[in-house]
Formats: sequence, structure tokens, C-alpha cells
Amino acid sequence: MPAIQSLGIDVGSTTVKIVGLDAAGEMVWHMLEQAEPRVEHQIERFLELAKGETLSLNGIPLVSTGYGRKLVKQANRQVTEITCHARGIFREFPHSGTLVDIGGQDSKVIGISSAGKVVDFMMNDKCAAGTGRFLENTSSRLGVPLERMGEEALSVSEEHPISSTCTVFAESEIISLLANGTSVAVILRGLHRSLVKRIVAMIRTVGIVSPLMFSGGVVKNPAITQLLEEETGEEVVMPQRPQLMGAYGAALIALELAGD
Amino acid sequence: MELTSAIPGRLETINTFKDDGGSVAAVFPIHYPRALLRAFDILPVEVWGPPGVDPSQGASQLQPYICSLVHNMLAFLKTGGLKITDYLIVPHTCDSLQGFGSILIDFVSPRQPVIPIYIPRGRRDSDVDFFAAEFAAIYTRLQEITSRSPSDEEIMGCILREEQADMLLAKLHKQRDGLPFSDLQYYRFIRTREYLPAENFSQLAQETLSQAGESQRNSGIPIILSGIVPEPMSLFETITDLGGMVVADDLAGCGRRLYPTGKSEEPFQRMAESIIHAPPDPTRGNSLQERLDHLLNLQNISGAKGVVFYNIKFCEPELFDLPILRKGLREAGVPSIPIEVDVNDPFSQQTITRLEAFLETIE
Repeated sequence: MPAIQSLGIDVGSTTVKIVGLDAAGEMVWHMLEQAEPRVEHQIERFLELAKGETLSLNGIPLVSTGYGRKLVKQANRQVTEITCHARGIFREFPHSGTLVDIGGQDSKVIGISSAGKVVDFMMNDKCAAGTGRFLENTSSRLGVPLERMGEEALSVSEEHPISSTCTVFAESEIISLLANGTSVAVILRGLHRSLVKRIVAMIRTVGIVSPLMFSGGVVKNPAITQLLEEETGEEVVMPQRPQLMGAYGAALIALELAGD
Repeated sequence: MELTSAIPGRLETINTFKDDGGSVAAVFPIHYPRALLRAFDILPVEVWGPPGVDPSQGASQLQPYICSLVHNMLAFLKTGGLKITDYLIVPHTCDSLQGFGSILIDFVSPRQPVIPIYIPRGRRDSDVDFFAAEFAAIYTRLQEITSRSPSDEEIMGCILREEQADMLLAKLHKQRDGLPFSDLQYYRFIRTREYLPAENFSQLAQETLSQAGESQRNSGIPIILSGIVPEPMSLFETITDLGGMVVADDLAGCGRRLYPTGKSEEPFQRMAESIIHAPPDPTRGNSLQERLDHLLNLQNISGAKGVVFYNIKFCEPELFDLPILRKGLREAGVPSIPIEVDVNDPFSQQTITRLEAFLETIE
């Protein structure tokens, strides 16, 4: 494995990701874990593991991003997830476009110029609707594992609209639908539609520039991708490692620091 | 700088004014004839919420979609926060404040007389005439309440004093770069215009301006702040911590109240001209084009790299304009970001991330 020249760590609300790059900016090492309650300890452990890969972290620049970026005291710089995601995705798709990132507790839409600059962005409000948590919350209520929700939703063509995009209200609505005998798959398809409509409202605020790129943990859910394409009329493209775009962008910024 | 710590607060100012025989009006945002009130020896003290009061008292008579400023105003009044004041002045700034005025008169029935002010929406001659007539009506109302009848000369004397204070306020805005203030200190200082008598404000402003020199501010990413009011004021510390610097503002309570001097020799007409020809404000019905031109001019003069629209949730006059203003700015190559807050909430981590990401974008 080529030597690691920079590190990027993305401390998200649901997962923690770390990426190591070689001198050419290629991803040569990465890790991804569920976020632990004491994330500072987890960060230390990640960095110990990185040390194991490189023998020493001395002189290797580290940039942190994500919701918990300020907790990474070892970082040379802390950069927001907006900048890092844009940087990461632009490396893989070096042209203008619109990035949709749906994470565990936040979602964002970023307009990217042909030079890779952030033109405009939008983040979800202080609400879990429009994020992975929205699906997670209803997963246990419906008895469908999170990783199966998308397929289950796509198994039917019928859907029941879930009128509210508030996670808590949606849950009560789902309970009423179940009580009325509506099938789980029909509810699930409506639920996915409701999440996607919320994201599409954010996309329209920023303005769509093709292609529509999609990253974040929710990429694993095929129903979101399909409905996103239906709602926008755009083909959705995904990076090879959609969950690592923030950490990758952070590592790319770190690599620039090394060059300064 | 030491000056800010020496500035008397609202309560101290009110007590001093009342000890000298004057009375005090609680004035709700935004535009009103200061000089007219002073001619009746009434000190206007503005009420911008205040933030941090328990808004539940206001919730009983206001819908949830009314902004937090108006919720707080009602809660503050009902919990005795305004008992020291003698009058309540309610400009019809927006639907929420108009409703607030009606609730005061019809349901709350406070001890103090409630005086509404109808605001014309435009800059036509007829708007000036309407506003002047409105001031004449307020004069009559105050005449009845106070049994005083200040002469035209007395009113004009008060107008000139307010014009002097407004002129100095404009100078402070113009020379802000050379003042020994952080953003937070600067806005704390200029916001004393909300309650200090004009003559006291002018004295402090002159002292401050005498200390102005070459640019004394740390370098930062220059931005324009637009919106209604910069509350919570910790906003400025956050901007500074994130590497930003406010170089100009389009805030309804600050930069949009740089009132030009009226021309007429007739007092009511002159006060009306001054307010109506102030920088564009959606609450006075100014057009989107006027607002856009004003923002672009501010950006051009100040060298700001972007505009932060710092809006209070449910503030319709601001929010209706926002998409088109942002589009216009984008077309002119000026990035912007909307930030929405509730004045009762602490500054959220999400809000900080948005500001930080915006500053990274325009850096």
C-alpha cells in the first residue's frame, strides 16, 4: 500500500469515517464505524489504527469535518461538511452538478460550479424529517429492518401518501394506517416519497444543475434513488464510496495543507 | 474600548428621564416620529422583543405562526416588563404588529394609552402627505392626553436634534472600519439609539467619532448582514469566531434607519419625508428592485463578499422578498445565505455550521 500522506475524518451523527490518501490524492485506506457515545475515544482509536498503517502520524496533516469536527483536537484544521463533500465529489466527478447528501441526521444539497466551488447550498432544518433518521424511526415501528426498507417499498407500485414530513407526526400517521389495514409496503413507498419530496424542495431552492449526484449513508436505499429520479426527472449518479465523500474531501484539503 | 461600558442601559435612561419630569413611551418596531414624541417630553424607548422572556404569556392570544419578536412583546407587556412606561406606540409595520396593536386595544387593555401608527407603503408624494397627516393626528391625540400643545418651533427644535443624531449615526456607519470596536461592541453602541435621548446619543457619537482613525479592525471575511434585528447579539461573536466581519448592514433596526434629513419647513411633512426616504425596507413597501439596488450598492461600497439574510422565523415582509433578492444577487455574482432564527432559542450548532460553510464558500 502506498504511504498515507494525509488524513480526513468525518465525525457524523450516525457514523465516523476516516480516509487516508497517497500523494496523488487516491484513497488508500479507510474505515467506517457506527458513532459511539464517547466519540472522542473512538477518534483516538481511529488515529491509533491510522498510525498502524503509516508507522507514525508525525507530519501527516489531518482535517476533520462533520457534526463532531470540533471534537477532533488532533486536527490541523476543521472544515464544514459542505466544503468537504463538495471537494470529495468533485474529485470523482470533475464538473458542475448538484450533490444531494442524505446522512443519519442531516441532509444537504450543494450546487457545485465547473471549477469545483460551492455555488449555493441548503441544509435541512432542525428536524429529522428528510434524513436517514426519518427512515430509522419508522423501521422499528413497521418491523422492517432498515436495510430492507427500500426494497420493500419498491416491491409495490401502489403507495399511500404520508402527508406529514415531521418524523413524529409521520409515525402517528403510520400507526393509523396500520390500524386501517394498509399494507406495510404501501406505507413504506409513501414514506419514501415523502422523504424524497422534502429533499426535492431543497434541490429546487438551490437549483438543479445536471448531473444529480447522491452521497451519504441513505444511498444504500434503492427506493430513495429511484424516487429521486422520478421526482426530478434527472439521472442520479453515485460515487464509488458514497459514505466517504466528506472524509475524502477533508483528506484532500489536508493534502493541500501538506503542500503549503 | 471603554466607552461602551460607560453607556447607560435602558432602565437607567428611563429612570433619569422620568426623574427629570418626562414620560416614556414603549415603541414597537420599526419606524416612528421620534421628534414628535420628544416635543411632548416623551422619551421613545424601543422594544425589540426582548429576547429571553418567557413567550408563553403571549401564546394565549397569538397564533403559533406569529414571529417570536411579537410573541415576546406581548409576553413582556403582560408580565409587567413595560409597567414603567406611560404610552405604547404600535407602528403597523407588518400584519403581526398590526394584529398586536388590535389585541392590545381590544383584549389586553393595558393601563397605558395605545397609539397606533399607520405606515404608508411607498415613496410617492401622496405617501409623504399621508404620513404627515398621520403625525398630525398623533399630535392631536397626544395633545388631548397630555394637555400640552408644543408649537411648530418647538417641534422643529426636536426634529433638528434628531436629525443631528441621525447624521452622526450615518457617520458611524460610514466610518465603522476606523472605530476601535469589535462587531459586537459596534452594534451594542449604535443600538443605544433605540433608547438614548438624541442629545445624549449625539454626544457619545461625537466622542466616538473623534477616536476614529485608520482601519483598526482585524481582517476577516467581509459580509453584509440583512434582516430585522441582530438578536441574539451573540451572532456577532460567532461571526468573529468563524473568521467573518460585518462591513455593512441592511438590518431594519440599524442600516435601514439611516434617515436622511427632511427638506420641508413644515414639521410633520419634514418628519414624513425623512422616514419615507430612508434606505428601502419591505415594511414600508419599497420595491424589490430598490432593495436589490441598495444591497448591490452596499456590497460595492463595502467590498463585502456575500450577504447573510438573518431572518426571524415567520417574518413575512422579509421572507416574501428573499427568493427574488437572492436570485438578483446571484445573477450579480454576490453569494448569499438565508439563516432563520427564533429570538428565544440559543444559537444552534446547525446555524453555526451554515454560517461557517458560507464563509468557507466566499473566502
